[in-house]
Amino acid sequence: MTSFSLFEIFLDLAYSWTRMFIALLLSILFSLTVGILAARNKRAEAVIVPLLDVFQSIPILGFFPIVILGVIAIIPSQVGVDLAVILLIFTSLAWNITFGVYEAVKSIPHDYIELSLMPDVGSWRRITALYIPASISRIAYNTETSWAVGLFYLISSEILTLGRSSYTVTHGIGVAIITFASANDWTGYTYAIIALLTAVVIWQFVFLREFALWSERYKFVEEPRAVRQDPLMRFYSWMTHKSISKLFLYTHSRGVTKFSSTFYRFKDGIKYSIVILLTIFIAFELGASWNLNIGFPTPIPSIGSIFSTEKNIIVALAYSFVRIWYVYFLCVMVGVPVGIGVSLNSKLYDGLTPVIETIASVPAPALLPAIALVTHQGEQVAAIIIFLGMIWYIIFNVMAGIRSLPAELFELNSVFHISRLHAWLDVYLPAAATAFVSGSIVAIGAAWNTLIVAEFFIVSGSTPITQVQTGIGKTIALATNQGDLLSLTLAVLSMTALIVTFNLVVWRRVYHYTTKRYAYNR
Amino acid sequence: MEVANSNPNLIDLDAKTDTASKRTFQGPVVDVERVSLEFTKEKDQMIVLEDVSMAASQNEFVSITGPSGCGKSSLLRIIAGLHKATSGTVKFKGTAITQPRSEIAMIFQNFVLLPWRTAMDNVMFALSAKRELSEDQKRERATQMLDHVGLKGFENVFPGELSGGMKQRVGIARALALEPEALLMDEPFSSLDALTADLLRKEVYSLLINPSSSIQAVIMVSHNVEEVVELSDKVVVLSQRPAHVVGEMNITLPRPRDRKSPEFYAWMDKIYSLLA
Repeated sequence: MTSFSLFEIFLDLAYSWTRMFIALLLSILFSLTVGILAARNKRAEAVIVPLLDVFQSIPILGFFPIVILGVIAIIPSQVGVDLAVILLIFTSLAWNITFGVYEAVKSIPHDYIELSLMPDVGSWRRITALYIPASISRIAYNTETSWAVGLFYLISSEILTLGRSSYTVTHGIGVAIITFASANDWTGYTYAIIALLTAVVIWQFVFLREFALWSERYKFVEEPRAVRQDPLMRFYSWMTHKSISKLFLYTHSRGVTKFSSTFYRFKDGIKYSIVILLTIFIAFELGASWNLNIGFPTPIPSIGSIFSTEKNIIVALAYSFVRIWYVYFLCVMVGVPVGIGVSLNSKLYDGLTPVIETIASVPAPALLPAIALVTHQGEQVAAIIIFLGMIWYIIFNVMAGIRSLPAELFELNSVFHISRLHAWLDVYLPAAATAFVSGSIVAIGAAWNTLIVAEFFIVSGSTPITQVQTGIGKTIALATNQGDLLSLTLAVLSMTALIVTFNLVVWRRVYHYTTKRYAYNR
Repeated sequence: MEVANSNPNLIDLDAKTDTASKRTFQGPVVDVERVSLEFTKEKDQMIVLEDVSMAASQNEFVSITGPSGCGKSSLLRIIAGLHKATSGTVKFKGTAITQPRSEIAMIFQNFVLLPWRTAMDNVMFALSAKRELSEDQKRERATQMLDHVGLKGFENVFPGELSGGMKQRVGIARALALEPEALLMDEPFSSLDALTADLLRKEVYSLLINPSSSIQAVIMVSHNVEEVVELSDKVVVLSQRPAHVVGEMNITLPRPRDRKSPEFYAWMDKIYSLLA
């Protein structure tokens, strides 16, 4: 393709946005059903909330190849691929919005609940006249903030369908970006990126903001406006909310005031994780035997082959683990000083925030072709993509952490003539610590998600444009391409197990230590 | 909690000779001359302070009171050198205040202690700009000050484990450690519960103004008329926005003041009538 038409780019955008919108509608329907159920039924609550929590912390993108294979096995057509993409976006939006609905219904003032329990109010009326309206503002709030994440999954999944199954997505902005790039049409590529950015900004104004404003009237308690208006704060509080696995709270003996005491009893989050992982594993095995019928050459694995495959997977995991952490440290070296520096200077903050937000809204996979143009070193490309996938979480969280400090703290520095060095070491760095840790938890989570595109970048056919030597993302990508369901299943499960275990063993402690020691408002 | 404010030896002796020479300055310690403050918010011109003049003389405890949102705190921040007045000047012993000065310390409404530092280290933190003191001297002074405000034994406790009243005591110790000549207090008791505030108010005057203290003038912002009458030598009453001075009076009640006496009520009524 050497020429392009703006109309086609517009068409691609329309396709992508339709997928996003359908996924959003599905997420809202799901969240209302499941969220209200969890909030009003204790038994359902005990099952749903821990489940949602694990879903939130697993690398969705890693599951995508399996989802495509599964959905296409059931619906072998173009519609199947589209459904798979929508399903993936759904999984990036739904859990977060469901938590929002759950908390909104949970926090309805008791008087209203009692009023709704009057004899002539049926349960359907109760849902439509009380629970749904009470949830609307949280749905709008979570929608606005999750959209960027949804966009990342949209672009990634559109790209991932290319060259990975017998059916591919034919229209979509992600497809357009990659197609232009692989045809060496950099004008078209640039236009597609600009079109994507423009769409993001316009959508923010015509839909997301309007939705949020409209939903204000459904609030029970008026929040201070100044706080509400700052988009960064909302981004931040949402991110902390989404990232800080509720399991952290349940499994810790303190600080479980926010949620119902039901979960308090479920201290052992690991138990849940194991049950869920086993369920997923069985589902995969079922899927495997199904895939056998449509010609996937998957022999029933022997114990020996499982062990030898797993050995390779553990090596790949170790490589990816090290890769993510060294890039993470680079991100910290850049993100923390930038985040603090920018937020200390009001002019810089006001001027740069919209710019950073716009740059941050470009999903990293869309930039892959441009990066591959600069360097063909697989390791470098992977590092850059992982870096871009993480850095914003660090910067935004640190910025929000500093911006949420009371003005009095800055006055303290002036009144007591604290030197700049002292102020950074003793005030700003510790004050940013809690926000920084929450940011790091999401950042690392996001990094695992980017691996599958970062470590093995393929457009069509079987020759990758760039690839790393060893890595779990590459293992997953290769296994998908070769239809090696055993490796695929083991790789995804092992990665999930590593992430969940790491979260529970390391991050939980770090998080509790920092909130206990460094939270400013106590 | 007992406070050993009866022991003047606790105050740093080096500073005392210093203090004596500083006291030779004649005229008001802090002098606010025709200060106005305006700012534009979303194209609306807002006048916060209009031609406000007041002064705090030697050994005077001055309170600024007025309806909430009238600009009391803004005025205090102009005196602190944190904000700039649109017009007018604030002078500290005859020199215009353009930025925070080391002779002026402040006590905050919400304490503003660093939660990641112990009570001791919070006081030390305020001393970090004092280059002339060695680390040991700073530690010694911080220990003295915490003792002075009644926090002996709490040196290594983190603010999160202290009650509101104790937090504000750390705030006071931190300000006193700097040996300021003027002390500004922004609603120092309003974040405390009624009982704690009562107790601290009873002690605070003698903590701040006593022969061995470096402090020569205190300016407190408060909307609580009772505490204003209890503590002040002079009260400056501000009006609604745009704030101007509607009254200034010297409270001549002898100390310690009995809050149940008819004279006390008479003073409160006087201030209330200006506020109404």
